[in-house]
Amino acid sequence: MQVKSRMIGGVMILLSYYCGMFLSHQLSLPIPGPLLGLVILLAVLFFVPNLEKSTTLVALPFLKHMSVLFVPAVLGVSLYWNDIASNSVALFVAIVGTTALCLGLTGWFAGKLMGEGNVIRSDSKNRR
Amino acid sequence: MIDALANTFTLSGLFWVSVTLLCYFVSLKVNVYFSGHPALHPLVVTAALVALLLLLTQVNVPRYQQSVSFLHWLLGPVTVALAIPIFKQWQSLKKYGWRLVISIAIGGIIAPLTAWITLYILNTPIALQLTMLAKSITTPLAMEASAQIGGIAPLAAVFVIVTGIVGAVLSNTMFTLFNVISPVAQGIALGTVAHAVGTAKAIHMGEDVAAMATLGLCINGIFTAFVLPLIFSIMM
Repeated sequence: MQVKSRMIGGVMILLSYYCGMFLSHQLSLPIPGPLLGLVILLAVLFFVPNLEKSTTLVALPFLKHMSVLFVPAVLGVSLYWNDIASNSVALFVAIVGTTALCLGLTGWFAGKLMGEGNVIRSDSKNRR
Repeated sequence: MIDALANTFTLSGLFWVSVTLLCYFVSLKVNVYFSGHPALHPLVVTAALVALLLLLTQVNVPRYQQSVSFLHWLLGPVTVALAIPIFKQWQSLKKYGWRLVISIAIGGIIAPLTAWITLYILNTPIALQLTMLAKSITTPLAMEASAQIGGIAPLAAVFVIVTGIVGAVLSNTMFTLFNVISPVAQGIALGTVAHAVGTAKAIHMGEDVAAMATLGLCINGIFTAFVLPLIFSIMM
């Protein structure tokens, strides 16, 4: 039963992947193939919600341990070492500085837009 | 897929895939030992261990990449599988409505824009500028999107991971500085600006922070990965 479910899930994901790759390539769309595959799978899940279980069964271990799949790509940066070294200050400011700033700004905006209610509610809970 | 599998079922393929998986296993243990500190993200530790082994065995990176090309190939289908968490978050997205979407959009726009402006002002090469545009979205989507617009995919992976680590480490300080107290707002900021690494941090901060971070991660990721290539295909 589980084996069959796993196979259906696996086939669904691979089918979406290859459909996405095929469409992106054949129609020379600006959207990358795997992203198109993601949208196809999302559409399939909306039409057939029952497939959620079997796709989750296959995909969960891969999603959970996705980090290991980036290792080959990340090691490829050694080829760009000179570019990184000669622009290290700019990259540092761009990554560290703006990430910290945007984290604060986004949180502040989000709090103004939708967070205030939550804080008041938790306060009143404390008072009780 | 056939090429990737054929490369894997050679002696060096099996060897390096096993070595990589073993290093990853060690890195998971290290991460748990240091109670999940963001700077010891499993990817950072695994990459460092593998790099050390490559250095010791005098194997160059392109040769290693060919040996483990199956691992790299798997990124494609795993990117597709991101549809599943997005599907699961759909209900809560409907619940919070446009306020949530606007909040995520603000983070999703200012994070890449300020980073790009910094690189533009400091006069860095155009390929680095383009790569930086994808820094706030989850790694597989960032690699695809940056490759599509003329950036460098491996660099995108590194920018993304460093962004996530910086976000996770500095989040508490920044939230105090900007007086962000609501868990919902903290979650949105972490997931939108610092993607999966930020979301991992959010899990330690509570359930509602984590749920919001996952939403930010999913929506910003798919939105940015679509919009960036579209903008560039119109402009070029």
